[in-house]
Amino acid sequence: MSQPDPYQPDPGIGRSERGVVLAYMATSGAVLLLMMVLGLIMRLDQGELLGMAPDWFYRVLTLHGTGMVGIAGLAGAGIMWYFLRQYVGLSLAVAWANLALFLAGVILIITGIALGGYAGAWTFLYPLPANPMGMWDTGGAASFLVGLLIIGVGFLLLHLDCARAIIARYGSLGRALGWPQLFGRNDGKAPDAAVVASTMVLIVNTLGLVSGAAIVVMSLINLYFPAFQVDPLLAKNLIYFFGHVFINATIYMAVIAVYHLLPRYTGRPWPSSNKAFLGAWTASTVMVIIVYPHHLLMDFVQPQWMLVMGQIISYTSGLPVLAVTAYGAIVNLHRAPIRWDLASALLVLSAFGWAAGIIPAMVDATIVVNQVMHNTLWVPGHFHFYLLLGTIAMALGFMAWMVRTYGGARESGLDQLSFWVYAVGGVGFVGMFLIGGREGTPRRFAEHLSGWIPYDRWASLFAALVIAATAVFVVRFFAGLRRAALTEA
Amino acid sequence: MKPRAGWLVAGLGGWGLLALPPARAVLEASLPGHMVGQIGLLVAAGWLLGRSWGPVTPGELGGWNRYGATGLVVAIFTLAFWILPLSLDTALQDPAWETAKFLAVPLLAGLPLCRSWSRLPGLARALLWAHLIPMLAVMGWIYHEAPVRLCNAYLLDQQALLAWTLWGIAAAITAFWTIRAFLGQAPLRKTIYLGERP
Ligand code: HEM
Ligand SMILES: [Cu+2]
Repeated sequence: MSQPDPYQPDPGIGRSERGVVLAYMATSGAVLLLMMVLGLIMRLDQGELLGMAPDWFYRVLTLHGTGMVGIAGLAGAGIMWYFLRQYVGLSLAVAWANLALFLAGVILIITGIALGGYAGAWTFLYPLPANPMGMWDTGGAASFLVGLLIIGVGFLLLHLDCARAIIARYGSLGRALGWPQLFGRNDGKAPDAAVVASTMVLIVNTLGLVSGAAIVVMSLINLYFPAFQVDPLLAKNLIYFFGHVFINATIYMAVIAVYHLLPRYTGRPWPSSNKAFLGAWTASTVMVIIVYPHHLLMDFVQPQWMLVMGQIISYTSGLPVLAVTAYGAIVNLHRAPIRWDLASALLVLSAFGWAAGIIPAMVDATIVVNQVMHNTLWVPGHFHFYLLLGTIAMALGFMAWMVRTYGGARESGLDQLSFWVYAVGGVGFVGMFLIGGREGTPRRFAEHLSGWIPYDRWASLFAALVIAATAVFVVRFFAGLRRAALTEA
Repeated sequence: MKPRAGWLVAGLGGWGLLALPPARAVLEASLPGHMVGQIGLLVAAGWLLGRSWGPVTPGELGGWNRYGATGLVVAIFTLAFWILPLSLDTALQDPAWETAKFLAVPLLAGLPLCRSWSRLPGLARALLWAHLIPMLAVMGWIYHEAPVRLCNAYLLDQQALLAWTLWGIAAAITAFWTIRAFLGQAPLRKTIYLGERP
């Protein structure tokens, strides 16, 4: 069989469209590396290989968490934009505005953390920002919160623009999700996978961002007027609804790269106009929204039916899309004449990382397990699994594909080595989190007991490997960036 | 009657009706009635007046209302001022304030909104709707949690009632747009972009 050439430019993408996508990916790549180094610093500190003042640990933790969640969103948005733009008339100005607001927000967030001392984590759980017990000043917390708000406005703009463009072309969100084909006779003309996924994401993220904006503004008012109190349970519900939805949406955006690029390596199409695929995306749209109470399993005052729902839906929430993606990937790959290179390997790794990472997540979403594992390192274990080996692998794969398609980057001898270093280092790194959690190590602790320290040290080693590999990917991306941005193609 | 004259009559009529003592008494009896009901209806009256001005055109006002931005800002500041508890309170005590309110809200909020809303880019309108939802929720929360009575004329229970009114409106807007986004835009197009086309 003849080998397909996966590096064909997309005709629907002009130079200016490519430019904004590359800017998203470049920002994400650069920040990713920096944040990884901060992560390593935390691991080294916990392993007592590095002495950091505890207040700085929490600042670094806050910056790492916020920064990573932010760039996961940004990278996902870049991927989504690239593919969705080929079907609907997205606005370039809005895409740039989102990036500008993102950077403005980042500056405020860094100011709040570095100068204001804010160290209340990216979840800004009420009433923590207003009760720092001398660790940070009100201005620092406010700067952080305003930064979040600005970034949220940017993403809201982007998703509203997607909604506008999608509705203009397909008439309604229901049709963009392929409901006529799902619930009626399937004429095989459902919208493309990129449209379905973007529609799902815009629905859940708009709701999430609207809730997030409400609680951020309430927290800001409470900072300066403590007499205005928020019901803490309500605050926690709003925050985790927003946080859960936003971080989940990053995967649902990034996975579009798998749907669109993997088939170009295998030469087989990715069938998306079928009831299983469309049904999975519709089911996940609903479930991503109602599953968030799994973050509140410890809150006995939360209505019990919500907790039960949180547990049950946790088993099923990620599953539909995950199943069609993993199954689709296997079908696509099975005995296909695939061309293995950096991009295709990262994309396949990402499907695996996502699938495997969901398993410890579901374990923890079981109430009896959560009573033990809640707030142990098990939690960062599962989310680093599907973020590092899922979302970020998708983003890195897409970036490698971009600079090769448009920037003329060639395969290099380092590719294979760095891919394996990333995969092995990544699995080892999350493995140490999971083992630490099993041993009962609490998460978000600057100081660890001596029994936990060996895992911290192994984790540091693995993290260093991940960083080395990521540095290779990111440097290679930047090396091809100029040409990729300027070429006519 | 020409359509323009119809709008004018409707606007002036509504405005006049709202100014009648019984209507004022009913609406101003409660905080939600005053802040949401009366102010909302005064905005609507101003909007109808704006319709009588004829179709919204890009060049109108000598380019001073490009994209409707000027009108929107004027309207927002006017409303922000008149929904303050202090303004509502004073209007009840001082006839001059009451008159000012009856002039300002239709003429500086309703009318400019009518001439500007349809000129705003679609995305700006969407963003305003999307921001209105959390901000109504937050405003409701402020009234609900306020540790003190904010008005002389209205008791604490009125603040709670207002909170629920605002939350109800936020919920209604959310439901409306969700349903509309899923059903498509064709059926409701006319009512939404009132004033968009001649
Ligand atoms: C080399 C790669 C990375 C290293 C070394 C690293 C390290 C760490 C460490 C040590 C923690 C604190 C764990 C604790 O609670 O004790 C942490 C938390 C976290 N990391 Fe990473 N990480 C890496 C990659 C990522 C990636 C790729 C993402 C997301 C895209 C991410 C998102 C987060 C988040 C959201 C938290 C939680 C912060 C909090 O508890 O508030 N990390 N990471
Ligand atoms: Cu969650």
